[in-house]
Amino acid sequence: MSDIHVIIRTADQTRKAEVTLDSSNTGADIIQASVDNWTLPTDTDYSLVNTTSGKTLTPNSSLGDSGIKSGDVLEVQPVLVAG
Amino acid sequence: MNSDRYQRHSLIDWFSQEAVKASKFAIVGCGAVGNEVAKNLALLGAGHIDLYDFDSIEIHNLTRSVLFREKDVGGLKAEVAAERIKELDPNINVSAFVGDVWEEMSLDKAASYNCIVCCVDNFEARIKLNQLCLITKTNLINTGIDSRFCQVEVFPFKSTDCIACYECNLPNSAYERMQQRYSCGWLKKISFIEKKIPTTIVTSSLTGALAASNALEMLKEVEVAVSKRILVDSFSGKSTVSTIEESCTCPGCSSLSESISVLKGTALIQGVFNLPSGCPDDCVVTSEPILISTRCTSCNPTLESATVIFDKASKYDSSINTCNQCGQESVEVVIKDSISLSDLEQVFQGREFPCKYITFNANNQTFVVEMER
Repeated sequence: MSDIHVIIRTADQTRKAEVTLDSSNTGADIIQASVDNWTLPTDTDYSLVNTTSGKTLTPNSSLGDSGIKSGDVLEVQPVLVAG
Repeated sequence: MNSDRYQRHSLIDWFSQEAVKASKFAIVGCGAVGNEVAKNLALLGAGHIDLYDFDSIEIHNLTRSVLFREKDVGGLKAEVAAERIKELDPNINVSAFVGDVWEEMSLDKAASYNCIVCCVDNFEARIKLNQLCLITKTNLINTGIDSRFCQVEVFPFKSTDCIACYECNLPNSAYERMQQRYSCGWLKKISFIEKKIPTTIVTSSLTGALAASNALEMLKEVEVAVSKRILVDSFSGKSTVSTIEESCTCPGCSSLSESISVLKGTALIQGVFNLPSGCPDDCVVTSEPILISTRCTSCNPTLESATVIFDKASKYDSSINTCNQCGQESVEVVIKDSISLSDLEQVFQGREFPCKYITFNANNQTFVVEMER
């Protein structure tokens, strides 16, 4: 386990934070923390994208396994359902 | 075909009207985004478009549906959209399928499309379409909108085997949200009210344009090694394109082998059920949850007294938890999506598989047996 310093932001870029995370944290952990801390709408589902690498993070993989590095920017994107 | 109609297209060096004319698309969901995708593919000169929707037109659809008029309220979305597409371009072979796409679209039919464009409004239908496309290796474009954002996801299943599917990145919360509609596993809740997500023509038209553009790309048959997601913020115009990562624990694709054989079989269960040698399991997986049996724990306390149902769980709601005899909510239901060979031979002999298909793995291959009725 090691610390990773990343920037997390919402897709509309109205919320942004520099945080230090443990490499064992999962994408689902980060999304839950973002929803809680930024009081994002709870009737929406979210996905996490590493905008630095241009790759999505699978929900249950750890940051370490997903290849997240310090300095990466992670974006919390809504999973859109309406059609 | 009157070639003058497509004269401007012919001036574009990368545009092959012949390839577009030879194409066959399915648009599943004829709501706001489905209207836009259908309109775009029609104006581009697609040769064949199949439209799927079970729903009818309501007055509030008219603010976002370019193909519908006030006089169409009450009509069937797929049928009205098909009529309007024919008006836009009579050269197009367009068909309307009214009903549940899961029932309407056979695996053969799914395989016949160059691309299926998913424009539905719920996770369940997306997951089912994803399954059909994975099994038949048919290209899938998934769309989604809200009042600000537009999302298009491209899954080039025809191009390569090892790519992410729709479920690879679906958050756990989406499954929890789906389960809120059900009780006891897969019985529909009687009083569940679906939340409506407000949208405008701005996001649906942007999404429809992006989806049609990506559908055109897929006609070029260029090998694409990744699935991708495009998210556009309609307020700022900013877009993000990301590669969708494959998940080795994905509930949608991780149990499927790279090699998939699709077979046809009778739904009737009769005789001894043998799986090929090399099959690690002694069971088959059904394409949807099956209500195996019910038993009132008050009236029928012994397990042997359970009533065998063997039907699609989706046909039942939570009212079956109430016993007809004692009137109490004491009915225990057994719902499964995996059935052992011994149960098929001993318990369900003479019945019909109540599902679209069954699957099993053997010798590094997935076998899919579609039920013929």
